[in-house]
Amino acid sequence: MLDDVYIHTRAISAAEAAVIYSGNALSEITDRALLREYYFSAVNGTARELSKKVNAARAAYRTEQDKVREIVTMRETEIPRPAYILARGDYTQPTDKVERETPAWLPPFPTDQPRNRLGFAKWLASPDHPLTSRVMINRIWQEIFGTGIVETSDNFGLQGAQPSHPELLDWLARDLMNHGWDHKRAVKQMVLSATYGQDSKATPELREHDPANTLLARGPSRRLSAEMLRDSALALSGLLAETIGGQPVHPYQAPGSMWKEINNFLPEYKPDKGEGLYRRSLYTFWRRTTTPPNMTLFDTGTREVCSTRRTVTNTPLQALVMLNDPQFVEAARKLAERIMKEGGATDETRVKWAYRHVIGTAPSSGQIPILLELTTQQRGFFTSKSSDAEALLKVGDSPADPALDKTELATFTALAQVLLNLDSNITLR
Amino acid sequence: MFEITRRHFLSKLSTGIGGAALASLMSEKSSAAAIGEKLIADHAPKAKRVIYLFMSGGPSHMDLFDYKPKLNELNGQQLPDEVRRGQRLTGMSGNQASLPLAGSQFKFAQHGKSGAWVSELLPHTAKVVDDLCFVKSLWTEAINHDPAMTFFQTGSQIAGRPSLGSWVTYGLGSTNENLPGFVVLVTKKPTDQPLASRLWGTGFMDSRYQGVRFSSGKDAVFYLSDPDGVCRSGRRALLDKLSALNKIEFQNELDPEIETRISQYEMAFRMQTSVPEVTDIGGEPQSVKELYGPDAQNPGTFAANCLLARRLAESGVRFIQLYHPGWDQHGNLPGAIRNQAKETDQGCAALITDLKQRGMLEDTLVVWGGEFGRTAYSQGTLTKTNYGRDHHPRCFTAWMAGGGVKPGMTYGATDDYSYNIVGADGQAIDPSKEKFTPGAVHVHDFHATILNQLGIDHTRLSHTFQGRRFRLTDVHGHVVKDLLA
Repeated sequence: MLDDVYIHTRAISAAEAAVIYSGNALSEITDRALLREYYFSAVNGTARELSKKVNAARAAYRTEQDKVREIVTMRETEIPRPAYILARGDYTQPTDKVERETPAWLPPFPTDQPRNRLGFAKWLASPDHPLTSRVMINRIWQEIFGTGIVETSDNFGLQGAQPSHPELLDWLARDLMNHGWDHKRAVKQMVLSATYGQDSKATPELREHDPANTLLARGPSRRLSAEMLRDSALALSGLLAETIGGQPVHPYQAPGSMWKEINNFLPEYKPDKGEGLYRRSLYTFWRRTTTPPNMTLFDTGTREVCSTRRTVTNTPLQALVMLNDPQFVEAARKLAERIMKEGGATDETRVKWAYRHVIGTAPSSGQIPILLELTTQQRGFFTSKSSDAEALLKVGDSPADPALDKTELATFTALAQVLLNLDSNITLR
Repeated sequence: MFEITRRHFLSKLSTGIGGAALASLMSEKSSAAAIGEKLIADHAPKAKRVIYLFMSGGPSHMDLFDYKPKLNELNGQQLPDEVRRGQRLTGMSGNQASLPLAGSQFKFAQHGKSGAWVSELLPHTAKVVDDLCFVKSLWTEAINHDPAMTFFQTGSQIAGRPSLGSWVTYGLGSTNENLPGFVVLVTKKPTDQPLASRLWGTGFMDSRYQGVRFSSGKDAVFYLSDPDGVCRSGRRALLDKLSALNKIEFQNELDPEIETRISQYEMAFRMQTSVPEVTDIGGEPQSVKELYGPDAQNPGTFAANCLLARRLAESGVRFIQLYHPGWDQHGNLPGAIRNQAKETDQGCAALITDLKQRGMLEDTLVVWGGEFGRTAYSQGTLTKTNYGRDHHPRCFTAWMAGGGVKPGMTYGATDDYSYNIVGADGQAIDPSKEKFTPGAVHVHDFHATILNQLGIDHTRLSHTFQGRRFRLTDVHGHVVKDLLA
């Protein structure tokens, strides 16, 4: 139970607290240190003024400090913590003590390097190391061609696959090191190569002999990654925010994927406003226990285990993302504005412009009539029910351009949706 | 136009088990799942599908099924050291000065021909005990929720492995062309025990085998509804043109992946009808609605999810995973478990009865259980009317029904404290996961038995990742033959 409540505008001194507690008069306190504290805290004007200044300065200092982003880094301990072999992996059962050592079947650890993270990095990146550069260049190859020269990019060991082109792998690995591990250069070299430039089209015979295109007798074909699909839709629509770096962002999330539904501890998911909705997928906030469905449905994995390669699937749930996710619908809507503004004045010029803009080639004579029919048909739907056009144009946060006719804009949104969902857009060929 | 052969199809789409395991989202009829079955099964499957009622939080076995009159007598006395046998407790009760034994507040009675003991908390379940196969001697290695649930749902305490449902759909495929093969239903209720999507995730397998969570909201499946302003005929017309354009693309490229994409878009369109159809329980007859009770009228409740599970099972969904959170009664157990039991009891029993009436219990394996049990001693102060119980991995109860398991039986036994599993001589035993311990069922054994009923040899269903072949049961697991009919 409370008897009294006092509210003070400053931190009271110990002497004052004692007076409140005991009910005795202040004059009965004899401890000089307590009295001194009381005097400077409550009586002396100069001291009180100065202490106010100190407090203000401290607050300003803290505010400045809060602005500095803290980044967790690692530093070697002065004395390395001893490590032991654990019996059956049980941390309560340490057996033999072990020292820091690299595997014996790899080049020896340099004698002039410290046995710490720095030394390890130097050893790993030394020109004699047979693995690092091969593993690295193989990952870049995988990124560009879909499959690594060593298919098992996460496993160069005995259980891994043999390289399809061992000499090429060796050459590329050496070349990467000779050019200062320049990744950008390596990527450029690959995408400008004749191998990459080949047509991905294959004769039935070739497909029969080499279904996975291991021998590279045709150009690569592979489905774009989750991130590429989303980013390219944003880029094509003109919505993409190209800001680099900064805090993670919260784009639209599927209704029903609300964090709270499976974890009451979490705050409600709040999508960003403005730029945060349109940043590259790289910046999307990632919660491993409730992953963004429009990413995982396209095989990003959940990031719970290290993964150097993704399997590529083709599922109906992906079709639902591409057709119904507000992110993609909005992108189609904004792409439609560009089609109307940049694609000339007739359906035909617009259809051609749009196809070329999205797919990168001109539509064939077989495709043009289908695209035109599509446009006419969809215009019919939206003309007969103009409220539908209005509703469609409200999907997503960005406003529709009021200067454009709503029925027309909805019509070209449908065209844009078809183009974004074309296999030629989803698959790199 | 070139015919797409099965070999083409497989070479592009499959990974693992001799290139025959197929997608959760592809039908048995049109895929090679049948081949997969031949490769992995050495016997005819008894169960075609699984409905797993996961009781998240760790239900108190000695307040529900594991009747311990002796524990009631010893109420208030200290947990003897020879019973505790050096067990490391959690940080939540491990530093209690006293570990007073807490008998159950609830009355137990024997039910059915099998005479199974069930507490007064579960009057509906008590009526179907002759269809249930109780395992009183389940045990796990994990003592905290997240690793324990991850263990039960993925076969490993550490995150990153495929879930049980993923393994099943990876091995067997789906039997419905218009629905996913693995569906997840979570009871909608505020809970202090979070679930994580990894529990129905695919880990290192690809996304086809991932559990598709049906929510009770507007869209049962993510992105199921057309955007505002798009009518069904407009969408149909759009897809027809999309399909025509993709066919031209196929004629140029001859890549069978394009034909697959065309068919996946068609399936997506069909799902937009089939999913709302299957999730709409409005058309169920009055008798069925009464069977599941008034809760079932309320979407997102456990009872509604049980009814939905039956509908999904009927529609050919292979693996239906329910979660009902809230069993974590560290304190105020008597009051809290009453609500918890009430929320789940009728749904469980109705599901068994309903499946049985439809002749579906024979080939549907229903599983009920949590990630661990609870302690015989009270966490916090024991009073005349109140107690709490901490996590207890050493022994707890689960039940199975249908799908070729023995009905009306009880397997395994615990000591008078429901603290340890006992052997045939009534003495506490230390079960092993390396070697099958008769009378005790480890998580891996539990999984091996579930897979066995589906016609899968758990030692042969594997998936390669980072140079190693992984199994649901790691290098352990034994089919508990005594449970099988």
